[in-house]
Amino acid sequence: MGDRELASCARTSQVGRVISIQNVRARRPPLALASVSLEWGPGVHSIIGGREDGGALLLALLAGIALPRAGRVRVLGRSPALARKEVARIPLEPSLPDALRVDEMLGVASRLRSEAVRDPAERLAELGIQALEKRTVRSLSRGEARAVSLAEALTSTRVRVVLIEEPITWMDPRAAGLVAEALRAKARMDGAIVLTTASARDAHELATDHVVMDRGAIVSGPTFTDPRFSDLRRAQLVLVSPDEADARLLAAGLARDPAVTALTQEGVVVRVRGHDAVGVARAAASCAVKAGAEIVEMRWESDPSSDLRAAWTNAPAAIHPPPAQGGTEKIAVAPRTGSEPEPAS
Amino acid sequence: MMLVTLAFGAFARLIRTPRTWLALGVWFPLALAIAFFARDQDAAHPADHLLVDVVGAVILPLLVYLLVGAMLGAGSLAASASPYVALGARPAWATLAFVGVGATACCACGAALCGAVAALAHGAGDPPRAHDALVSAYVGGLGGAAYACWFACGAAFGRRGGGRPIALVLDWLLGAQDGTTALFTPRAHVRNLLGGAPPLHFPERASALALVGIVAVSILLSVRRVRPKR
Repeated sequence: MGDRELASCARTSQVGRVISIQNVRARRPPLALASVSLEWGPGVHSIIGGREDGGALLLALLAGIALPRAGRVRVLGRSPALARKEVARIPLEPSLPDALRVDEMLGVASRLRSEAVRDPAERLAELGIQALEKRTVRSLSRGEARAVSLAEALTSTRVRVVLIEEPITWMDPRAAGLVAEALRAKARMDGAIVLTTASARDAHELATDHVVMDRGAIVSGPTFTDPRFSDLRRAQLVLVSPDEADARLLAAGLARDPAVTALTQEGVVVRVRGHDAVGVARAAASCAVKAGAEIVEMRWESDPSSDLRAAWTNAPAAIHPPPAQGGTEKIAVAPRTGSEPEPAS
Repeated sequence: MMLVTLAFGAFARLIRTPRTWLALGVWFPLALAIAFFARDQDAAHPADHLLVDVVGAVILPLLVYLLVGAMLGAGSLAASASPYVALGARPAWATLAFVGVGATACCACGAALCGAVAALAHGAGDPPRAHDALVSAYVGGLGGAAYACWFACGAAFGRRGGGRPIALVLDWLLGAQDGTTALFTPRAHVRNLLGGAPPLHFPERASALALVGIVAVSILLSVRRVRPKR
């Protein structure tokens, strides 16, 4: 257990649970949740998974926009409908009063949340978007609207729970760089931030603990492990050689390497597994050099049982362009040319 | 205080869209032009006929239909209220604010329209001009409010507020008759109050109460429709 994990756990136990979900089942076509139970305290928490995996529906439940078919949802010890003023939700398509100017909208938001009206420019400056102050909400792009919505949530003195879908994606570029620190600052003020993302990298950079959802169910977590690392640990390295002889040379070399725990060779393709992703990659490179075998393609291929499979494969194309082959992520494609020096044997 | 804040948002939506001014800019001059020419026809009761057959039957419902559509942005009532719900407002209050602002605006427009038409098209056989204009304004105001709530309630149905045009068609089809079904539409009661054929021999006072009832039932249904669903 790392220092950060210890600190988060300690703080959670001191302050108490901000969000509690018990055996919740919900459905809002095409999304559904099956018997989900979670408890979160103050801090930044991530739900990793595509939109279809149910993260968005979970946020809607916490915001009181949708009601569960079974189970219990509590936010700040109350039902979400009663905690509405202290909860802010920033979906992918934010819903803002489109006839108002941004400064008017912030004033209306303050009055609806029963808090003192503050200088709108100062609030927007939190995310570097003060230039939007006099724009009408109708004229904002999606990224700008999301940034304004997030600025309202983070600078509100009343909001204690912020629910945000894809905090980095479709975010105004001025705000995107400030989002991580702003979320952490809100969390330090006893706020609970729950974000859903299809990107394991974003989850790792923004949140301290992670829940992985797949088709409406929690398949992993809450965990404090770097989700990218957990992905690599379960992945297998795929090496493609130009001919079968090279593949056989590679397989023979890798079979003797202690970093490799499993290995298969089918034609020109060699699949390698090991406990340590970096060790496996290093073994493959070393073996290729030693055996003089050529590698035309080298990529990580997710294990079908990987917790993160859904996160990668269900991600919208705009967030993660579809992989070249069957849910894989290429990390190197480097055919060797004749002019390159021969490797030392 | 919260209701006033919500009403500000709804009112801003109504007056900051060109659709509102386009609707007013087309229907008001048209009604006034028809009234002007009807006066010159030398009929005994031009104002009466115009109010019953043209303004009450066609112009008022269409004007209110367009105004409610402008306020709701051609979307559903729930979609219009949702930005305020996201900012912490209760769904019922946000709905109430939109329906209330729509009803008030349409009440004012209906009153101005019917009052102006009655005054302009006044004929020799009509009641005194000022009295006639005042009574017509009262009917137009009540009818405008009832139609606004009726259409807003329609917009609470359907993902994109598809119930609003259905409400218009229902009013047209059912309200044109004088049977039992006409009692549930604003059209039949507005016609009765303007001096037309009453539905089921309803007295005028009963029609006025029926319009108030339509307002109340429409508001209740609208509020009920925008609640979160399982």
